[in-house]
Amino acid sequence: MNTFLTALFNGTSRGAIFALVALGLVLVWRGSGVVNFAQMGQAMFTTYIASTLIAHGNSYWIAFIVALIAGALLGGAVDLFVMRPLHKHSHSSLNATIPIIASLGILGVLQAAAGMFWAGEERGFPTPVNSLGLSISGKVMPFTAFDLFVVGVVLVVLVLTTIFFTRTGMGLAMRASALNEEVARLSGIKVHYMKVLSWMISGAASSLAGLLVTPATNLSPNSLDLILIIGFTAAVVGGLDSLPGAVIGGFALGLVISFVNVYLTPENVFLAILLTLVLVLIVRPQGIMGSKVGRRV
Amino acid sequence: MLKVSQLSTHYGSVKALHNVSFTAEQGKITTVIGANGAGKSTLLRTISALVKPESGSITWKGRELVGASPESIVRSGVAHVPEGHAVISQLTVEENIKLGSLFRRRKFASDISQATKEMFDLFPRLQERRTQLAGSLSGGERQMLAISRALVSRPEVLLLDEPSLGLAPLVVEQIIQSINDLCRKTGLTVLLVEQNANTALSVADHGVLLALGEVAADRPAAELMADTALRAAYLGY
Repeated sequence: MNTFLTALFNGTSRGAIFALVALGLVLVWRGSGVVNFAQMGQAMFTTYIASTLIAHGNSYWIAFIVALIAGALLGGAVDLFVMRPLHKHSHSSLNATIPIIASLGILGVLQAAAGMFWAGEERGFPTPVNSLGLSISGKVMPFTAFDLFVVGVVLVVLVLTTIFFTRTGMGLAMRASALNEEVARLSGIKVHYMKVLSWMISGAASSLAGLLVTPATNLSPNSLDLILIIGFTAAVVGGLDSLPGAVIGGFALGLVISFVNVYLTPENVFLAILLTLVLVLIVRPQGIMGSKVGRRV
Repeated sequence: MLKVSQLSTHYGSVKALHNVSFTAEQGKITTVIGANGAGKSTLLRTISALVKPESGSITWKGRELVGASPESIVRSGVAHVPEGHAVISQLTVEENIKLGSLFRRRKFASDISQATKEMFDLFPRLQERRTQLAGSLSGGERQMLAISRALVSRPEVLLLDEPSLGLAPLVVEQIIQSINDLCRKTGLTVLLVEQNANTALSVADHGVLLALGEVAADRPAAELMADTALRAAYLGY
């Protein structure tokens, strides 16, 4: 029973992080039609910034906030200075692949830069609360205080995002821009601003994911590569163009990974991820919440 | 007035509009008629800046529109309802209407619910379906919704592209009448593009006949309606 609960709580906590990563990917995909492979490179970079701030004696929370802001700025910069100029100058049939290659290029640059600035060696990253087994009135719980923190923070983010997209005018403008650019522009919405904004929110969300996952993975220029792959799988499982789908996909994969880890062996984790992806795509090719219409090209 | 002069638009090497000039009087309905492929939609898309013209000028109340972005043109009071019942089907009826008023929400917050209410008065069927997704509406309702989305921005000029496309005659009649009433009551300037020349000319004050991207006739609507020779030559009936 205790093993089961440990797997459940662990999976939920990891799943929350994958949900954030998937959310970031889906936001940018819907807003700009780009799968941003640099996303967790950006997160790695901002986690290094946080780590450096902490090493210089600043509090965790200052570093936390600075990293989120840096993530938003970095996301916006990628759109403004890389994606937009590329979009303006591309007229070939390769249009769909150019941003993907560019995002891989940005990933490479960020990883190289991180290696140069902070040397290549792995370093730890602190948690704001205890990450050892939590005990309440003498009884050891199957989760840690940090697990609770992760799930709590992610839930707050998800609730705020939902309110933003469903209850505010700007959220509506962003959804409209993503769904139908022409109608949005004809409604007087500045679609370009909405795109930058989606890159910024995505950047901040992935920065947050980086901060939350790094205590477990340690920090190196490549430390978040795997998280991107799992997050991307979660996004595809969820339906790539659906925000709720991304969140469901993230939690689902977190649980799958955790249960396989506990009940089978860690070596089977990748097989399980692949199997989940294949099964979902066979049963529902558009993903759990994805719309049936084909990919916009 | 809306003044179009010497406007030329190309799609690659294909000439869509060639030296098109006409004026649409303020507070009047001007209709642009012509056969399929005459350049009617291109004309509206050029006015709202979805398509860049090769040369020429478009002015509204003396202000040059060529070179501005589509969103700034809407903001300056020229709203476009593109062809094909342009609504966002994944959003609700209410959200679609709200879209058109979003850019005014800071300056005219108090006016927005009023403007939305006016749309529901104009098209009561939309009110019944306000929480439904636009994708679940009938063609006529979608057209009403697309027009509402444009009108809620409180435009001075309304560019309407083939509102009758694919709709039953009775619905077309209703929509055209609503536009006509609105124009007479509020002084809205309407530029109505139609393939269905009879319907369009029956409500319009002025008619512009486009043929292969050029203006073939530019006269009062009643005169165009009466000119059977012209209609036979360009419209086939």
